[in-house]
Formats: sequence, structure tokens, C-alpha cells
Amino acid sequence: MAGDYEKALPCPSPDSLPFWEGAKAHRLLIQKCDSCDTHWHPPSTICPGCGSRDFAWIEASGKGRVFSFVTYHRLYHKGWKAEMPYVVAVVELEEGTRILSNIVGIAADEVVCDMAVEVAFDDVTEEVTLPKFRPA
Amino acid sequence: MVDITPSQRLRDRCAIVGAGASRLGKVPGISSQGLLEEAMKNALDDAGLTTQDVDGLICRGPDEIYTFHQVMGERLGIDANFSTTLTNGGASQVLGVALAAMLIDLGLVSTVLVGFGRNNWSRVHANRDNHMRGSARPQQMEGSEFGPEYGLYGAVAMHGFGARRHMHEYGTTREQFGAISLAFRDHALRNPDAVMKKPLSMQDYLDARLIVDPFGLYDCSLQTDAAGAVVVTSAERAKDLKQRPVLIKGFGSHNNISGWFAGDNMIRTGAVEAGKQAYAMAGVGPDEIDFAQIYDCFTYMVLVQLEDYGFCKKGEGGPFVASGALALDGTLPVNTSGGQLSEAHCEGMLQVVEGVRQLQGIYGPERQVPGAEIGLVSGHGGNTVCESTLILGTA
Repeated sequence: MAGDYEKALPCPSPDSLPFWEGAKAHRLLIQKCDSCDTHWHPPSTICPGCGSRDFAWIEASGKGRVFSFVTYHRLYHKGWKAEMPYVVAVVELEEGTRILSNIVGIAADEVVCDMAVEVAFDDVTEEVTLPKFRPA
Repeated sequence: MVDITPSQRLRDRCAIVGAGASRLGKVPGISSQGLLEEAMKNALDDAGLTTQDVDGLICRGPDEIYTFHQVMGERLGIDANFSTTLTNGGASQVLGVALAAMLIDLGLVSTVLVGFGRNNWSRVHANRDNHMRGSARPQQMEGSEFGPEYGLYGAVAMHGFGARRHMHEYGTTREQFGAISLAFRDHALRNPDAVMKKPLSMQDYLDARLIVDPFGLYDCSLQTDAAGAVVVTSAERAKDLKQRPVLIKGFGSHNNISGWFAGDNMIRTGAVEAGKQAYAMAGVGPDEIDFAQIYDCFTYMVLVQLEDYGFCKKGEGGPFVASGALALDGTLPVNTSGGQLSEAHCEGMLQVVEGVRQLQGIYGPERQVPGAEIGLVSGHGGNTVCESTLILGTA
């Protein structure tokens, strides 16, 4: 399986490991501050809202909207050849934080800003699952 | 955060006394360091100075060369009272000039060489294997996360997110981005050193292949071998030198390092705050700026920075650029050398050089902004969030 997958795979850091372990279990995990309730992503060990280092990993609803997106017409990596043109988007989750992902299950030219989306887990290898988003 | 009030003490205290560029475009057989030496020599010659007069060095080259300023110092034979390599990406070069002014004011140095050089065209085309990678693909994304695994490659996409959101919020169109490309191409045709030599029509712009939508080929800056450099010293010392000095009237810096994806950073950039600082230090506002050299990695960045520097209202950048304002005879001539979209890509350093030359008044009527006394130069870069601003003026 893994041998056939030609795209880049994420290299988790100790800080982001819970995110990737959650994804593998089909749970979209983000961090939530114990002091000010800010939700955040990408992972770090300090709250970007108030500077507290007390936080919990929580499961996000998986619902959000496309804040912005681009459509690749030039191939930068051979692993994407079959999917051209593909959409990379900044998705704003209901919890308020934003996450980079792909929009799937819709033609590239039908994606628009602010459209409602929901998480769709893509088990790209036996070890790695990528949270992606599809129209809600 | 506490509101800050920039000091006006540095207004007109330092000057740029020489500017130079390397050969531009395809310059096979030269290293990034060699290109920068060419530009630095030209800048020193312009100032009537030599390397022996230099006691400060602020420069940048390929990011993978460790302590680049030390590499350059060894080659130039300079021991510096102060030297460093800045890592604010395309905002570094304008910031380097500002830092030079601060150091001169403090009395730590007297004469600073500021420059950038990179053999971008050669390094990509020397080896076909490198071609797919492209120069725009940040090295730090290799083996990383929250990017490459989703097919995010290149600065083009990061800036494209901003462009797309701006189009959504304000109705900005690709034709309006195109007006920027066309204006700069017209300027390049007046510049014999510019890489792009052919006229560009709106139809050419719209028909060109898409790279990363909403950006097509002509929304993207060039891939060139290029270097630029300037010499900075005190306004007092400048009086005794060869060139008509170009005064540093004000500068500013603001970096939205909370990230491009945070808040409205992608449609309201660091230029808002950096511009406020620079205007306050210089004691002028946007209405008094005779021309601007705006960092143009992609067309959209010109449009949004023009809004953020107050040349038009937020959201009205599209109609503003489409009005013909950016032309040499427009209300605000912008990127009068052709910019990075049509002259050469030098991470903003050539925009400093062009700003200086316009204020030195060296051009013939085909290129000179008539009566130019005050110009604004912007630098933008890093991971799309760093902004530096210079306001320059005649003595």
C-alpha cells in the first residue's frame, strides 16, 4: 500500500502527533485552551490567544466553510498528476480556527469561498490518514 | 499591545549615495555571490567609494548558504563593525536599508553596503532534475506537514489564497490583476536592462496558461539571475560624495507573523502598520508620494499593498489599478523599471535601486517620473507576512 502512494506524507513533530493519531482514528483533533477557550491549529504548546500552556485536545465538529482556495493547474509534484486540477483550501472550522486541506467530492471549478464543508477522512496509506473536506 | 509612536529623529539623517545592479536575466556561469559582487561594485562606483570605505554589510543570498554576509565579507575583504544576513524573505532588503540607517545614527558604522543576489535562473536550469522543484518552492516545506501532503507547493498558492479571498470580498477581477501586469510591462519596455522585451496585451494576459488559479503566467514574477545593492551613509557625509544624495525620510516594518491564515491578514497586510510608521517618521502621507516601487512577487500583492499604504480605499484596489493610475504618466507611477513581473526578480532589491535612481533624476524623459521628489519602496515576504517600507526623497 504505502509503496504505491506517490505524494508527500506528513512528518509529524512531537507537538502534532496527537493530530495525526486522531486522524488515523477518523477524529479531527484540535487544541483548546483551558484559560481562554481559544481553539487552535496547527499544533503548538502555547495558546496563541492568551499565552497559557494549559490546553486539551478536543474533537472538532468537522464542519466549517471554505475561507479561501486555489486550484493547481501546474504540476509541482508527480504524485498529483492524476488529480489535476486539484484544489487546496484554507478551511475555517466551526470552532474558529483554520486548517489547510483539500476540497474533494466536487469539481474544482464549482468550489467557492464560504461554501459549507465537512471533514472527510482519506486513508492514504495503512499508516496515514489525511483529513480532507467535502461539500456539506 | 501598546500603541507605538515612531520617532521622527531619523528623518533625513541618512542617505543612499549609490545604487547598482548586476546583469539581469540569464547570466550563465556566475554564482549568486558573483552577481552580488557585480552589483556592489556598481553601487560603490556610483557613490565614488570603494570596498575599503565600507564598515557595515547587510546582505542576503540563497537561503541555504550559512551566514551569507560572512561569505561575502571574505570575498570583499571587509572587516565590518556590523554585518548580518536578514531572513525576512522579500522584506529583508528594504529592512536592510532601514537597519543601516539605525546603525549609522547610533554611530556604530559609517558606510553600509546593503544588497541581495541570487542566480535563480541558473540554479534551476543548470540541472533538469531541479526544474520540477521550482525556485518558488520553499525548502523548509520538504519533509514537513500541513502543506506538501495536501499538494501545497510554492509561494504562488499562498498569495493565491489572498487574491481569491480579496476577489470574493470585494469583487476584484482577473482583468484588474492584468492591468498591473500590463502597466509594468509598459515600464519594462522603456528599460533596456529589463528581461521582458515584448508588449503584453490584456488578451495575452487572459489567454496565458493558469499556474495556480487565480494566478496565470503573467501574474507571477520572473525567474532570473539578479543582484542589486545600495550604499548607505549619513546625510552629512553624503554632501561630500559624488551623487545627489537620496535621503531616507522614513521607514517602517510590521510582520503579521501570527500567520497568513490568521484573521484578515491575507487581505489586510503588514503594509498598513509598516506604512503608518514610515509616513509618521517621514512626515508625509500617501498624497505626497510621487511614485511607488511595490514588491510584486504576484500581481495581487501590488493591489493589496496599494490599498494598505492608503493610495486608495480598502477594497478599491481593483478599480484603482484599472484606472491607469500606475502608468508612468498616471497619478501614481508604480514599478517604473518593470518590477519583478517584467524587469527581473531580485527579492525587492532592484526596487530600492530604482527608487534611488528616480530620485537621483538620472533618466531621460521616457523613463523619468517628472519632478519626482518623494518615493515609497515596499518589501514583502517571508512566509507572506513580513512587510518593510522605505520613504525616500531628494535633498
